[in-house]
Amino acid sequence: MARELLTGPNFSGRSTGLTARLRAATPASAFFVGPYAEAALSGLSSTVADEIEIYRARPQPVRPAFSAIDFTAYAARKPPTLSGGEQVLLALHCFSMSHYRAIGIDTALEQLDPANRDDALAYLSQADTRGFDVTLIDNRLEQQDGWTQTAMTGSADFACDPVAATAGLAPCAAPVIAIERLSFGYPKGRTIFQAVDLALEPGRAHRLAGANGAGKTTLFKLLAGVLAPSDGTMRLDGAPYAPWRSGNRVFALATQNPDHQWCGATLEEDVARRRAALARHGIVAPTPDTIARLAELLGAPSLDAHLYELPLAARKRLSWLWPLSGTLPWIMLDEPTVGQDRATRDALASAVTRLCALGYGVMFITHDEEFARLVDHRPLRLEHGSIAA
Amino acid sequence: MTPNGAIVFGLLVITGATIARDLPGLAVVLAVAVVFALGSGKRVVAALGWSAAIVLPLAAFMTLVWVGIVGRAPAEIAAGIEGSRANAAAYVAVIALRLFVIAFVIQAIFLRFRGSTPFQFVRQVSAPAVAKKLIVLTLSLIETILHAVDRARIALIAAGLITRRPSWSNLRNGWLLVQTVWLTVVTIAIGRARDKWPIENTLSLIDGALTDAAPRRLTVIDGAWSLLSLAGAGIAWSMR
Amino acid sequence: MFTTSRLVAIALCAALNFSIGNIVYLVKLPVYLDSVGTILCALLLFPDLVAAIVCAFAAGLIGVILTGLVLNPFLPWFTLTVLAIALVSALLTARANGTFRARPLPTGAFVAKVVTFGIVTGIVSAVTAAPVVAYLFGGVTGSGSALVVAYFVKSGNLLWDATLRSGLIIEPLDKTLQVLLAALLYHATPQEFITMLRPSVQPSAT
Repeated sequence: MARELLTGPNFSGRSTGLTARLRAATPASAFFVGPYAEAALSGLSSTVADEIEIYRARPQPVRPAFSAIDFTAYAARKPPTLSGGEQVLLALHCFSMSHYRAIGIDTALEQLDPANRDDALAYLSQADTRGFDVTLIDNRLEQQDGWTQTAMTGSADFACDPVAATAGLAPCAAPVIAIERLSFGYPKGRTIFQAVDLALEPGRAHRLAGANGAGKTTLFKLLAGVLAPSDGTMRLDGAPYAPWRSGNRVFALATQNPDHQWCGATLEEDVARRRAALARHGIVAPTPDTIARLAELLGAPSLDAHLYELPLAARKRLSWLWPLSGTLPWIMLDEPTVGQDRATRDALASAVTRLCALGYGVMFITHDEEFARLVDHRPLRLEHGSIAA
Repeated sequence: MTPNGAIVFGLLVITGATIARDLPGLAVVLAVAVVFALGSGKRVVAALGWSAAIVLPLAAFMTLVWVGIVGRAPAEIAAGIEGSRANAAAYVAVIALRLFVIAFVIQAIFLRFRGSTPFQFVRQVSAPAVAKKLIVLTLSLIETILHAVDRARIALIAAGLITRRPSWSNLRNGWLLVQTVWLTVVTIAIGRARDKWPIENTLSLIDGALTDAAPRRLTVIDGAWSLLSLAGAGIAWSMR
Repeated sequence: MFTTSRLVAIALCAALNFSIGNIVYLVKLPVYLDSVGTILCALLLFPDLVAAIVCAFAAGLIGVILTGLVLNPFLPWFTLTVLAIALVSALLTARANGTFRARPLPTGAFVAKVVTFGIVTGIVSAVTAAPVVAYLFGGVTGSGSALVVAYFVKSGNLLWDATLRSGLIIEPLDKTLQVLLAALLYHATPQEFITMLRPSVQPSAT
């Protein structure tokens, strides 16, 4: 079959089914784009130009190229420094330039912005005329015309209930974060922020949007105290706040790749170290039993399970643990729903909405327009050194 | 010039620097390296500066030890004679210049091939396929690690486990950054080795990409530079 | 010998050797841990001794070559030291793999083995590095060693002797720290990765 969409909830066997189909195809004739940014790449190149060169069919490509981005401008860039969406687009470009006759994509298209996603789906929908087969897993697609749909029905015990995880939270008087005349630029680089004024009100969600390089990650770094601004101030309810000197006391962060944020090999180690660090800052964390219960509600089989031996989707859910615990008054979520099925996405949206109603402050970055629609939010657009509300 | 020729040239210059025992001999070898680097234009100055920046701290410590504290050269200690600070300074100068020549010739070779990607460079080197694959794989993983370091550092600072500046927290928890990065990159590597590479047969794919279609012979230009560096080494040897 | 997984392990450990310098700089620690990947590679490949030695040495060698090209041009001179560390790690340190992997970690046994193997690795490293340090660097490679060498030379020792004595003081401390870090990373490594490194699991990549 030329075009197949594997559907089903998380842990229903879609990923296993996808890789089985690719392995059963004519040996070594299938291209695979895995479920996280780095899984799109070969892992054998240190520049974008080299990545394309590795896959280029010789003597010439067998089909028209898919070029959502002009990669000649990216030639010297290092692949891991590209955004997740750019890495996926690079992978699709490499496939289109290659000799492979089949491609399997495991949720990777969810990292694309709407325009690029539509372009990618349009290209893949022409698989039979372009001479290749495609098998796709995508939590944002229920069905596509002309695609065969196969429902996967397996199950595994990582049941997740983010709404229940926030059920016991008390109201929170999160502080107003006032940013005044904030300026920042990287040494020998461009200016990211130029005298920016911004007020972040608690009790609501804020969506950060902007092109790659516009400063979304930089803003996270400034708010978390990883970077110090070259000018400007921050205030919490009017009082001066400089997290780059005092440390972060405000934001609980869930990273885009959940593996970047663990403070241990097991959840038990991670929790113990975070609680100790919070205690040193005079912040009272929930008891270990409460955290354990919370982790269970987010699908942790046990606290001493090795985190990296859990499936990626399960690790992603556990990355919401501290943000949903209510320990800190503001939460930052970076692409929280990538790889999550609709039911889980909807539940997370409800949990985030509940946090806002309780008075917490929320910031998030997402390409999932449905998630953004479900969470009543204030859009913040970053461009040209400023932030437009 | 081919990468193979550059490697031969570099090894000969480094050998010359190693066997040279005094300043005039080292100056000859340095001159060969400078002539080679002059083809790179203004960047030669940056290469000289980078090499000096690497060597100066070492030279400063050597001066402190040999001229400031010990006050005589090692040969004078071995011979059991009084010695002098001047001879100690000459000894330090020889060591520092040798280090400078080694650092500079490597930078000069980098400059010569600055238009090539690592893949393009490795492709043209005469080496076993396994070695080439290891080099490109390592270079790619270095970039993945450095990216993971940047991301993990944000999260660990936000969690209060490490700080931007030197601190006791960093002494206590700095290893966690290494662990988080290691586990992240191992997980990525497992995914590739288990799924992407077997499905695509990627490693065999790069065998083709890493093979240079042209014969890997040294060119006339390679030979000329090799002769020059050999001559420099020979002169340095004869001046011992 | 060189299965796909082992190529990955060598490259990962070589990349770790290269990158740790970057990490310690960012957390502002006054150390330079350049052999953690070499020691870790030996631990990962144990009990296949030949594979552990070859792969650990390969990881160390690639690490010093790349570091030498980009950051520190003098590191490749210590290739013999890299080989010595790979041998000690594969033949001795890796025998503690059971202790290092145990959950919960037996603190007393863990510390004792880390210190013991760290000291042995440090002694071997100092002995193999001393001739290079003496000839190439005039006995001096950094601030700590400078003063120690000065003391020994001033006391009447010959250069090689002073360099060796200086190394025998500093290297065991440095290598104990590196064995500690390698052991902690080994402790945390997912079992799936260690299993993949067994020769029966993967077809040869070459």
